[in-house]
Amino acid sequence: MKSLAIKNLKGRPVRTAVLMVLAALLSFTALGGTLVVASLGKGLDSLKARLGADVMVVPREATMKKKFEDIVLQGSTGYFYMSSALADEVIQREGVGQVSPQFFLASTGSSCCSIPVQIIGFDPDTDFTVSPWIKRTYGGELGKYDIVAGSDLNAFVGDKLSFYGVECTVAAKLEKTGTTYDTTVFTNKDTITALIQSSLDKGMNDFKDTDPEHSVSCLMINAADGTSPEELVNDINIHCKKVRAFRSGDMINGIAGSLSGVSQMIRLLIAAVWVLGIVILLLAFTMSVNERKKEFAVLRVMGASRAKLAGLVLKEALCTCLGGSLIGAVVGLLVLLPFNGVIEKTLALPFLLPNAGSITCFAIAAVALSVISGAAAAAVSAWRVSRIDTGLILRGDN
Amino acid sequence: MKRKAIEWILGVLLLGCSLCLSVGVKLVFHACGPMEGGKWMTCHWAEQAVLVIGGVMTVISLLVLFVTSGGMRKGLALALVPLGIGAALIPNTMIKLCMMSDMRFHSVMKPAVIIFGIAAAVLGAVYALVGKKD
Repeated sequence: MKSLAIKNLKGRPVRTAVLMVLAALLSFTALGGTLVVASLGKGLDSLKARLGADVMVVPREATMKKKFEDIVLQGSTGYFYMSSALADEVIQREGVGQVSPQFFLASTGSSCCSIPVQIIGFDPDTDFTVSPWIKRTYGGELGKYDIVAGSDLNAFVGDKLSFYGVECTVAAKLEKTGTTYDTTVFTNKDTITALIQSSLDKGMNDFKDTDPEHSVSCLMINAADGTSPEELVNDINIHCKKVRAFRSGDMINGIAGSLSGVSQMIRLLIAAVWVLGIVILLLAFTMSVNERKKEFAVLRVMGASRAKLAGLVLKEALCTCLGGSLIGAVVGLLVLLPFNGVIEKTLALPFLLPNAGSITCFAIAAVALSVISGAAAAAVSAWRVSRIDTGLILRGDN
Repeated sequence: MKRKAIEWILGVLLLGCSLCLSVGVKLVFHACGPMEGGKWMTCHWAEQAVLVIGGVMTVISLLVLFVTSGGMRKGLALALVPLGIGAALIPNTMIKLCMMSDMRFHSVMKPAVIIFGIAAAVLGAVYALVGKKD
């Protein structure tokens, strides 16, 4: 009986192939959809962690032209500055706790490609958003002209990169975050001051009157104890005219809404494919059993019990669904893992694949689910085949 | 009869992988276009290299399908193994590419070339193993 199931499947290759394709589709949809939804969730969590501060303060023009949001959320490159005096005015407001300045610059075309790279400088003495993240891959101090490259930059430790004629050395490469920071270069205040000065000297900086030693791009602020971020934001916006403060949470809310919508759509798609797939499997197994009634009747006459017949149908279903599910899972992994960059770019949302262990669990679950669904669809036919009246079938009175 | 069917299926799959490397790399999995001023980036030349290797693999795959001598077919299929591996090594290993991993070459062309190159190499090896001599 064991080999009879395999022989039956080999004897009808077209039918077996079609059923395997269906099982593969179920498994592919389950795995693919689950991985995409999980990656979107992980990307959003990563973005929240990367932003780090309760409140961000930027020059007013950066928000009027949506520059800051485009840099952080859309991956655009850009830079803007406010004077240190203006920054000090903000820092002295009541309710400001931890504060650290950041400095933005965008390179021009790099060596082979004309795509600018976003450069963000931070003050190592006061920083609390970038440094903890950098320390996960690089425990040393960043020297002058040392840079830390985001994970999606094709630059590795020891490589030399030139920005505005200043040669910098890649000291470390960051872990993937699934956010626009993956294509960003980070460096310390001394280096970025030198880069900004070099861009001004070459006449390649849009802000010709900027004094790099006395300018900042953004203030990252944690509210002091007893002050809520909302109160701090309102206070800064009312009393400091040339800047704009906002909660990092507000910036993420729009993205979280889009992400939720996309995830919901994917879940609906998975459900629709599964319902359709199971219905088709049910019909396919029913039709298959119907056309083989005489075959089963002969087996009964030869001594096969009702349970053995039902077991034969279930074994065929399990073999077909297992083979198809494994193929579907492998195809799903071959599509999602190498092409996750395309998916990320198409969705334009934070996207971070889960770790290898989680992906393996998702794959096993998708295969198991597909096999169980196929077996459940075949169980109806298995029960029916165990109920056949041998005499009626063989006489032709079915 | 059964072995002949397997050989045909493998041959068609080999042709498919080779066409993906030759035609596909120009039409579907292509690299970035020219820069302003008409200058091509490094990835364009990597695409051209894959096109040439893919073209050679396509011709060999057609020969595998239509040559009558079984031994010759196995030999031709075996030749696709180093060619497939060579094609897979071109993007970013043999020809270093742009800095931004979200650019088209890194996100689309490199994974496609690696997958089809390795697939062609594996299928060629399988054909050489299971193909009938004569």
